[in-house]
Amino acid sequence: MDGIIEIITQFAAEEPAIFALIIGIIGAAVISGVVNVGAMLVIWGERKVLSDFCNRYGPNRVGGRWGILQLGADAIKLFTKEDIIPGDADKAVYVWAPIVASMATMLVAVAIPFGALHINGKDYPLVVANMDISALYVEAALSLMAIAVFMAGYSSNNKYSILGAFRGIARMIAYEVPMGVCVISVAVMAHSLNLVEIVESQTIWYAFAQPLGFVIFVIALITDLGRIPFDQSEAEEEIISGYNTEYSGIRWGLLYFQEYNNALLGSILLTLLFLGGWHGPIIPIPILDIISPLIWLFMKVVIVLWFFIWVRSSLFRLRIDQVTDFGWKWMLPLSLLNLGWAVLIGSYFA
Amino acid sequence: MTIASEVLSSIQSAFPGAVLDSRVESDRRLWATIDSNKILDVCKHLSSKHSFDHYSGSAGVDWIARKEMEVVEIMASHGAHQVVAMLKIKTPRENPSVKSLTGLYWNANWYEREIWEMFGINFEGHPEQYPLLLSDELMGAWPWRKDYKGYPDLTTGERAVEITTPDGYTEYRIPPTPAEVEAGTVVVERPKYPSFREREELEIKSDSEMIMHLGPQHAMVPGPFLLDILVEGERVKKAFLDLGYIHKGIEKIMENRTWLQGITYTDRMCYVASLSNNECYCGAVEKILGLEVPQRAQYIRVILEELSRIQSHLIGTGEFLTLVAGVGYAPWQYMIMDREKIISLIESVTGARLTHTFVRFGGVRNDLPEGFAEQCKKVLPYMKSRTEEFIELFAQDPIYSARMENIGSITPETAKRMGVSGPPLRATGVAYDMRKEDPILLYPDLDFKVITGTRGDSADRIDVRLREILESIHIIEQCLDRIPSGPIKTEAKIPKKVPAGEAYYRVEDPRGEMGMYVISDGGDKPYRVKVRGPFYATFQTLTPLLEGVYIADAVAIAGSMDGCPSEADR
Repeated sequence: MDGIIEIITQFAAEEPAIFALIIGIIGAAVISGVVNVGAMLVIWGERKVLSDFCNRYGPNRVGGRWGILQLGADAIKLFTKEDIIPGDADKAVYVWAPIVASMATMLVAVAIPFGALHINGKDYPLVVANMDISALYVEAALSLMAIAVFMAGYSSNNKYSILGAFRGIARMIAYEVPMGVCVISVAVMAHSLNLVEIVESQTIWYAFAQPLGFVIFVIALITDLGRIPFDQSEAEEEIISGYNTEYSGIRWGLLYFQEYNNALLGSILLTLLFLGGWHGPIIPIPILDIISPLIWLFMKVVIVLWFFIWVRSSLFRLRIDQVTDFGWKWMLPLSLLNLGWAVLIGSYFA
Repeated sequence: MTIASEVLSSIQSAFPGAVLDSRVESDRRLWATIDSNKILDVCKHLSSKHSFDHYSGSAGVDWIARKEMEVVEIMASHGAHQVVAMLKIKTPRENPSVKSLTGLYWNANWYEREIWEMFGINFEGHPEQYPLLLSDELMGAWPWRKDYKGYPDLTTGERAVEITTPDGYTEYRIPPTPAEVEAGTVVVERPKYPSFREREELEIKSDSEMIMHLGPQHAMVPGPFLLDILVEGERVKKAFLDLGYIHKGIEKIMENRTWLQGITYTDRMCYVASLSNNECYCGAVEKILGLEVPQRAQYIRVILEELSRIQSHLIGTGEFLTLVAGVGYAPWQYMIMDREKIISLIESVTGARLTHTFVRFGGVRNDLPEGFAEQCKKVLPYMKSRTEEFIELFAQDPIYSARMENIGSITPETAKRMGVSGPPLRATGVAYDMRKEDPILLYPDLDFKVITGTRGDSADRIDVRLREILESIHIIEQCLDRIPSGPIKTEAKIPKKVPAGEAYYRVEDPRGEMGMYVISDGGDKPYRVKVRGPFYATFQTLTPLLEGVYIADAVAIAGSMDGCPSEADR
């Protein structure tokens, strides 16, 4: 084991460009697999857990008692369905919207560390692009989704869609700002914008170091993901399905999938920024000790996702004016207050 | 308290000669035929002097043998007294026309429109005489007249003919009669419901406005009805409402079925409240027949009707919550789960889950099964604790109050004027409940409160429903303690042909005041059955209520009325 690591480190030091290229190619292949399979599991998990909350069974036919193959069946259905583009739609924008949405997700995914390997007392983070400004970059890439939502809604030429798109934009603008301020607060405390360094600097979780920032970030994240109580852009009882009303078949599938991709990446981001990332006691069993940071990250992410589903099953949907009011009048001032707190505490500990 | 005979003598003294014929059935029912020229004055007099502030509806009757038509205006009061005045206005069968009451009572609008399109009785001064329940091509056929031949014409077998309009649309029209062809009046200009495009051209004033559908096919509607909203951004500026998407013509069908068969049709008007509908029809027929219902049967009816009220309120509330919270909202599923227990209880007695057809003239179909009381005593305390839990849950939820409180508020005065009925009316603070106002069966002997709210908003409407569940449980518990043994059907023989007569009977449906006006001409079939549905009454108020609210609130208001378009359309 030591020998392999030594060779790799040596190679990385001697040929940094080629090493980065190889890592990039492998990483791209791995993350598109991990993110998409992960999202499928999130969809399945949401359906199962939500059913549990609602006293139902959820998927329980395809793939045995747990309905694990339900998503496969759904995906096959979506792929084989007729693809309908409305006659009055802006065709180019309509076709590109789901692709932009996928792109936004993948852009987020490249900079997010999916965990670490613990070898010889040292954590090796699993990240494709270990940028110095990855926290800022991820935050920026997450908001690209708003553009895709607007493209989809605007190009559909449908009344429900355009209302959904407007709602989506209004909501995302109102909440991206406090979310960004919260990321900056974390960076101030960690003295770095690099997600890996932010995780490494968390001797105590930032959820405890800046509880206000944590709460604001969670609310802003739920808004960003468009989940209840902030799913106004696709409130089905008001505007049918919002921005994706006209979509069908695999294009709809892509948009739907991106929501869950984002939910997965968002929960990982939340874990990295506030819940200590992959930190946790090392399991003293061979092999397991290597992947124990991965296990910890996985468990934290599952709890975060479970929390999101819990929220969905118990809260009402807010009205769009209430959402923007709350965003600008409460979330933004409070996030700035949290930034002040982070500066104060951060400089004290430094 | 005012009684019927006082009202009658007051009219007679104020307008000598206006009352052509009258009958005081009891202290609470007055039947009077009023001179058609004086009806407006009489109504004004009644509402100002005797506080008849509740226009309960109107019915059209086609007396083909007497060559005349009748419009029966049903007047009552919101709690000032218990008299229901049935004012009949006669008009000749050729070019029938009466004066419209819309100037006096806002909610007369729909009732009169319905009579106009069904019987062809013209209402002078009605603001918007265009089809409500019927489709455009049936206009002018006057389908509820007694000489209506059917569509297609049952005598000739002819179907409607296909006509291509100048705009290129295809329309279907009743074929013209030979007389019409001869006279050259083939193209009859029938009043039409404005099409979507016409409405857009008429209503849209600026580029930022658009008309959006919230029905008939929409995730929000509890059944098919048309709700178009004119929106500017997120604001609703105007709402347009139309019925008739699930019109079954039950009133007409019942005229062609025997008295007993009619019970089955009352089930189908609103399947979550079918026991109340059964009760209403059977009660009216019992009144004509003069039947006494045995004690035990009365108890069974009350128990089942209250159970049915519980399940109706649960599904009404639960469905509404999903409109505001999304389908993933967990309490909705819990309400459905609890409702299932109540349905099983009813099923164990009636054998059906929704369409019971259980009430019979002078009794009920069968007795309670063995162990029913024990089952009830198991379920009811559970229901009670669950309902209290729901009330507490909503009282503590800040997002719930942000979405529901002061949304779609109605003042008591407006509610009375617009003829809102049931929980939406009681939520405004008007304690108007048929079980107290026009008590039937053994309701006078039972101890229960009329639940009222204070603000009249969506939150109050939900709260009133949930607290009414607790009252219903209280009623059922009393009944179970006191229920006597004895026969469940009257011993009198029920004739196949019901003697000529008429009756108006009111019950408190889960959605409010349900009334049925039944006329018998001595045959084996009803001559006319008029159903005054509670949601039909509440439905009308949506148009003014939705003006100026947000789209999301429009859903929260429309849903909180616990709509049943099936019952409104009949």
